[in-house]
Amino acid sequence: MATWIVFRREVGQYFASPFAYLITAAVLVLTGVLFNSDLQGSMTVKPAEPALVPLVMSFTMIFFAPLLTMRLFAEERREGTLELLMTAPVTEGSIVFGKFLGAWFYYTLLMVITFIYQFILLSITQPDVGHAISAYIGIWLYGGATLAVGMLFSAMTENQIVAAFLSMVVLFLMWMGDQAGQIVANIDVARVVRALSLQGHFSTSFASGLIRAEDIVYFAGIITVVLYVTIRVVESNRVR
Amino acid sequence: MQRQPLIIRRGHVATLASYIGVAALIAAIIGLIWQGGVTPYIGAAFGLGLLGIILWAVMTPTEFRAFITGRGVRFSTVTVFSTLILIGIVALTFLLFQRNALTLDLTQAQRFTLSSETEGILQRLYRPIRITGFYTSDYLPTREVDDQFFRLYETESEGLITRLYIDPDEQPALASRYGVTEDGQVFISYLNEDGSVDFNTLARVPRASNQERDITQAILRLLISGSIRVYFETGNGERDPLDSTQEGVSGINAGMQESGLVTLPLDLGEIAAANGDIPRDAGAVLFVRPLTDLTDPEISVIDRYLARGGALFIMTDVLYNENPFLKQAGRFNNYLWTFYGIRALDAAVVESPDTSGETPLDIIAAYVYTATSLAERLDPSENPLLFSVARALQVNLETAPADMANGQITLSSEVSYGETDLRTLGDTNTYTYDASVDLPPQLTTVVWAWDQTTGAKILMVGDSNFVSNGSVLAASGNGVLFTDGIAWLTGMDEQIRFGVQGYNAGVPLIFIDTGTLDLISFITLIMLPGIVLVAGLAIGARRMRR
Amino acid sequence: MIEAKGLTKRYGDRIAVDGISFSAKQGEIVGLLGPNGAGKTTAMRMLTGFMPPTEGSAKIAGHDIIEDSLEARRNVGYLPERVPLYPDMTVRGYVTFWAKLRGVKNSKTAVDAVLARFHLQDRQNQLVRHLSKGLKQRLGLAQALVHNPPVIILDEPTIGIDPQQVIEVRDAVRALGQNHTVLFSTHILSEAEQVCDRVLIINKGKVIAQGKPADLRRQLQPGSTLFVVLHGADKKKARELLAAVPGVTHVEAQGDGWQVKANADVRGELSASIGAAGLTLLEMRPITTSLEDVFLELVKEV
Repeated sequence: MATWIVFRREVGQYFASPFAYLITAAVLVLTGVLFNSDLQGSMTVKPAEPALVPLVMSFTMIFFAPLLTMRLFAEERREGTLELLMTAPVTEGSIVFGKFLGAWFYYTLLMVITFIYQFILLSITQPDVGHAISAYIGIWLYGGATLAVGMLFSAMTENQIVAAFLSMVVLFLMWMGDQAGQIVANIDVARVVRALSLQGHFSTSFASGLIRAEDIVYFAGIITVVLYVTIRVVESNRVR
Repeated sequence: MQRQPLIIRRGHVATLASYIGVAALIAAIIGLIWQGGVTPYIGAAFGLGLLGIILWAVMTPTEFRAFITGRGVRFSTVTVFSTLILIGIVALTFLLFQRNALTLDLTQAQRFTLSSETEGILQRLYRPIRITGFYTSDYLPTREVDDQFFRLYETESEGLITRLYIDPDEQPALASRYGVTEDGQVFISYLNEDGSVDFNTLARVPRASNQERDITQAILRLLISGSIRVYFETGNGERDPLDSTQEGVSGINAGMQESGLVTLPLDLGEIAAANGDIPRDAGAVLFVRPLTDLTDPEISVIDRYLARGGALFIMTDVLYNENPFLKQAGRFNNYLWTFYGIRALDAAVVESPDTSGETPLDIIAAYVYTATSLAERLDPSENPLLFSVARALQVNLETAPADMANGQITLSSEVSYGETDLRTLGDTNTYTYDASVDLPPQLTTVVWAWDQTTGAKILMVGDSNFVSNGSVLAASGNGVLFTDGIAWLTGMDEQIRFGVQGYNAGVPLIFIDTGTLDLISFITLIMLPGIVLVAGLAIGARRMRR
Repeated sequence: MIEAKGLTKRYGDRIAVDGISFSAKQGEIVGLLGPNGAGKTTAMRMLTGFMPPTEGSAKIAGHDIIEDSLEARRNVGYLPERVPLYPDMTVRGYVTFWAKLRGVKNSKTAVDAVLARFHLQDRQNQLVRHLSKGLKQRLGLAQALVHNPPVIILDEPTIGIDPQQVIEVRDAVRALGQNHTVLFSTHILSEAEQVCDRVLIINKGKVIAQGKPADLRRQLQPGSTLFVVLHGADKKKARELLAAVPGVTHVEAQGDGWQVKANADVRGELSASIGAAGLTLLEMRPITTSLEDVFLELVKEV
């Protein structure tokens, strides 16, 4: 219940923030440019790439997830509302969950807007719909994980810019893990690093049309662990 | 002496249990990261860890709750421990699911699902098979993609197929033993009883666009290896399968062995003399240009062999001796014409200088009937066939015996003719067209016949030079005709053939006009972001307004 | 309504709040008085459930702040020192959010009532960021009251607003005292004197005095202080004369007159002896000690 109220406020907050619209527009321009160039490039040559937009988003989320989440706790802290939230009869869990779900919901809407590309494809050709669905399920979970990480850093600092910067760095590293093999000589270490990376659970499975239970566990696990740590970080305000 | 009563309090046990539990869990997580997989020790450590924690929780519930809710204990320590435990649980679940390979293939072409043909083949496995992949860390993403396929095989074969990855940089000796030449090569082999790789059965899996086909075919080759035997007739002056000179045919012999076939020699004369039979396990008998014609007893040996579904691969040449093999009026030629509707003619094919190779006697097959499975890869533009001094063959297309399917595969061009004056040709190597005796175009050079009742198959080629070591590589069609011929004769092709899952099967290309393209650009680049921006600006304006 | 027993908060070696015990009944306005850094805010934060005490316990409306934290928090309305606001919400949205979060059943009615009470109805659709400082303070109070809690905790609610608004806020707090238990912190004594039924004086984490403002004054300054202006005597003589009056303990020059401290009412004796000495009494008036003096006195002692 409290989660729902916090969630409602966060969603409202996104819609009341010009910055969030700016981010959405930026994502749409980016995906749009790549969609059009792919369309032009593949005309009469190859079928349209069904996972194109999710693949583009998988990279852009490294930058946009921190921008979408940097506000969540940093602002509450700056405005002092965090103290009030924590004296309200709600648990930290509900606060963290509500905020996370709010961010995820906004992200989901953004994702749903990009369905328009799929409808365009559907109207001009017969794309591999199953493949696209798989890629979208993947990018949805992927987005959730990046948002959770962004929120964690927001909870750790009062400064939004610092929060955004730190989470970008961490997300970039988690993204780069896919290329661990290029850097790490030992293949087993590289494998572990890749197993921890975001791309390692998206680019070769979801984005290729294959849903693997382990990848779902990975993203759900990242979200669970990061949210848990976030709850503890928020709680630490009490004993500070 | 005062006796100290030994009092064990619940609290003490619980505290001890909690310490042991946490320590075991941490050890398990470290081990997990180190090993990259669940070994029995790590599993045991996890078990011990969970047991310790549960014991602690059961014995002192209040303390445990206080711990979980984070009161009274040092906050950061608790956070670190509990987070580690959580990570451990997630990692364990992850590995569990990874092991079980639960997947859902949503692609239209079912690219990540094994076809029913492959599943059928995997049902037939009886001996452990090892897929060995050599990848350096540079090739890690490729390895992960490949692994998705390999583990499908592992799961589907119920563990009979296992995977092993080796980094060639770390174990160069092993890599060279496998014959690794580049990164990302995959090998397949049977395993010995003791679990070691059976190097006799080792074969490299080609890396083409369709991984399932490549892997399944490699498995099939393993499966049928040793079960198909091919006999070379050697008693009549044929080209020698062990002769590695230009004239010999050791190349095709080795090629068949590499494909898992067993090749053996056979002396038809001896068998006929002993009134015996061609061995029952013969998948095919090869006649690589015998010199003299077959005797009646030999023909009856062959007749008995064909009657039980045998297969013959006859390569005959233009010969200039007294009793040449398969002479037009000979008994064996007559037998083939009567029962199978095919025969050889005593004529050499002469091509027009325009269409031929170096001399008019080098015959490049001008027409190929690619409609049969036997010849479907023989498109002249891709896989040209090259014969030298080819013999003309003939098929009785009008009055073929009942239940007999037969046909031509290659024809010479419209400007060729069949030189019947073989003596002059043989003595002086000259030829002239004589309309009264020479054969008109077009001339058949490869024919086949298939008795649908007995299953007997015959493939006859009017040349033997095309498989000699000297010229088997001269034209790509030569090797294809031979291998596909063997595959057809032995039935190997039917075993290997299965539904090919094309990469983009069924997904059509895009055809739209530029007007539509412009409209799409407008919608996606101007309209969509525009609407969002305008909405954002409206919100911003409201914020500014008092 | 509030019962605190030995509330203590330690940050490592430093003790912010050192064993505070007090209780407040329903309808009582209790002032927490102390200089900056005395531990008022920390004490309040423990009572609101924001941070757990290191030692000791407290009950809000009968609910323990540790064992039954959520229930205790449900019964508190809290306004921190810096009014916590969401700048991008509307006034109404902001109050509604807190009402719902604190489990108000009929939030619309409750929000209407509290907006009316603080005269915010005509601004209910404005964004919070556009409100003036005083309005923000009122909004902060509205937020603390929207769920009609039995206990209201206000941390320096009059800081940083203009004098007119200070009076508004004080009146509002006074009015709250009729139905709610109010815990109110300030470092301005006159404010505590005006508003509170009872005052706790805190310094360095400890309660050093508590009681009704008037009692506190009497208790700490049992005698009286008079301001006397004489005519017709030099300074030395006047001082001797005044000091000789029975009951006078201390005489000190102040401006053109004298500040006379005594342990009893000595006005009669003073005027009599002045008259007897042939001097003229130009002025005599009592000086009332304010809490300020009491406070300074106490703080000095510790």
